[in-house]
Amino acid sequence: MPITKINIGPVHPSTHGVLRLAVYLDGDTIERVEPHIGFLHRGVEKLAETRMYMQNHPYMEKLDYIAPMAYDEAYVSTVEKALGIEVKERAMYIRVILLELQRIASHLFFVGTIGNDLGQMFTLFMWTYMDRDKVLDLLQEATGSRMFYVNMRLGGLVSDLPPDFEKRTLETLEYIDNRVKEYEAFIEKNPVFHERMKNIGILTPEKAMDLGVTGPVLRASGVQYDVRKNSPYYIYDKLHFEMKILTRGDNFSRYKMRLLEMRESIRLIREAFKMMPEGDALGMPVKLRMPPTKNKEVWISREAPKGELMMYMVADDQKPYRLAIRSPNFVNLSAIVHMSKGLRLADLFATLGTLDLVMGCVDK
Amino acid sequence: MINSIIQSFESMLNSGNILYNIAALLVYAIMIFIMLAVFGYMFGWIERKIIAKAQYRHGPTYVGKYGILQNFADLVKLFAKGSLDLDNADSLLYGTALPILISLTIFVVLILPIFPSIQATNLSFGLLLVLVVVAFMPIMIFLSGFASGNKFADISAQRSILMLLSYEIPLMLVIVAIGLVSKGYNLQSIIAMQSNSYYILLMPIGFFVFFIAMLAEIERPPFDLMEADSELIAGWITDMSPAYYALVLFLDYSKVLMSSLLISILFLGGWLGPQPIPGVAWLIIKAIIIAVIAVIIRATTFRMRIDRILRMGWMILIPLSLINLIITYIVFVG
Repeated sequence: MPITKINIGPVHPSTHGVLRLAVYLDGDTIERVEPHIGFLHRGVEKLAETRMYMQNHPYMEKLDYIAPMAYDEAYVSTVEKALGIEVKERAMYIRVILLELQRIASHLFFVGTIGNDLGQMFTLFMWTYMDRDKVLDLLQEATGSRMFYVNMRLGGLVSDLPPDFEKRTLETLEYIDNRVKEYEAFIEKNPVFHERMKNIGILTPEKAMDLGVTGPVLRASGVQYDVRKNSPYYIYDKLHFEMKILTRGDNFSRYKMRLLEMRESIRLIREAFKMMPEGDALGMPVKLRMPPTKNKEVWISREAPKGELMMYMVADDQKPYRLAIRSPNFVNLSAIVHMSKGLRLADLFATLGTLDLVMGCVDK
Repeated sequence: MINSIIQSFESMLNSGNILYNIAALLVYAIMIFIMLAVFGYMFGWIERKIIAKAQYRHGPTYVGKYGILQNFADLVKLFAKGSLDLDNADSLLYGTALPILISLTIFVVLILPIFPSIQATNLSFGLLLVLVVVAFMPIMIFLSGFASGNKFADISAQRSILMLLSYEIPLMLVIVAIGLVSKGYNLQSIIAMQSNSYYILLMPIGFFVFFIAMLAEIERPPFDLMEADSELIAGWITDMSPAYYALVLFLDYSKVLMSSLLISILFLGGWLGPQPIPGVAWLIIKAIIIAVIAVIIRATTFRMRIDRILRMGWMILIPLSLINLIITYIVFVG
């Protein structure tokens, strides 16, 4: 049969943003896929070179608008490391709590979109979005904003947690825990879901490591790598949580991985609340002038909800000389070229969906 | 008064005068069309409300009481938009396929026995005619998608033929079983035969197969592969002009009515039911229940893949319908 080229995107219901895929089809089977990216490129890395440290701060969250807290925290940590600022003990706990809440919110979003990608008329999406809103309510209470928090400050946070935040968070977590069980039942009792997800888009551990994918996608392939465990930051080494591993590496295990991680995050937050010390959590107020640093090279690595997020910065006098961001989504997207070979056209979008891409983060 | 109208209408239909017959048939056809339009409209609203309920939303609330005029507003919007000239389309085929599809649907509803007393025609092979006309529908979808010159529509057109291969045979086998039980394919007598017990009780497997095949026939989820929005944008209606898209919506809803009427006539005893409520009302109630089940399925299930549907058709539905046929033969004939 002749090869048909179809052009999917940049505006398409299930490319999760502005991604263009040139798909070469042999009948209904995919011969090859070429992702074309850059529709949302904003030049954040270059822009950062022209602004002072804390002026850059709000830009970073706009990269991943599904999980902005991770970028907020990663950038501030990079600057802290460059300037040699210590983070307060209580602030560390609060940061971990907020990051894990953000992870839950991000994974809830994933569970909803996977329903859309499999052609389920927005029901699952509306359900998970409703629950995600509950988590966002908590984040709003803690930070004052639902989407772009700009909540971290050097050495701490803008503000301490509001009173009774712990109680409300634990209630919400209880609710989310039950809801996750409900989703599991709703999704996995459906034979069509198993048919559409199992043994499709397989990523072997070797190939996954070759491609450099990280996060839930890598762990679903059976590779034990989680930055929170392998090179712990903040208080992750004091908290008890498991690094969940699934071995099949197909769409189903990538979906399942997110549910398991949500449970671990809930466990983490509960424990962090128990261990949280009293004290001061406020960071430095925003000021543009910083103590001078010359040619100091730093990099940090964080476990963002989508994968390993790294920020590399060469610190100049008052601003970054160079800021490089290793976005997990960009690397994970590259796996679709390998994974899509021989798939059916319909499965391409399920596979793309399980990578949980945010195009803002891919294009930077 | 209504009874007298029905009686005069009946006498017009049954009189030997061909002009009277044609006039009565036209009136009946217009009636059916209005019924389809009203049902389509109401069903569109009910569907939006039910799906909204399933998703913790309110659905349409703004236009009219309980948003009942929302679909009308959408219709006005669609007709107010400009139309699209397609460069690659075969305009003759593309322009005619959809109207033909709609007239086929109306034709099927026309030959179904909806009123106990009035029927357009009482053919001895009515059910077979329904099956033939229904089998033409995917072919018209194929032509429309093929003629539009859009690659997504083209893939969707190919899928429609694959779907036809997967569910048409089980559909036929179930209909053969119904023919065995009711000793013929006359729709009136099929209903009359169910006065003792509905066919859903006599052949539950047959009902199951028929329901699934009918869902596939009318492109309802989980078999809405031709309009699979996650990969094909809108499939064979991707390049439709807004006015044509309004017709597609009408087609969609009237197909639901057609199939749910067919299912209630073949398996749920048509207009049979306790007396004080008129027979037509019973039929409509049964059809609405079937349609609502289809909506609930739409709200909850994931879309199947084309090769899986073929597999299901040949590995599950055909064996099941054969079992149904054999059981029916042994119990009712042998």
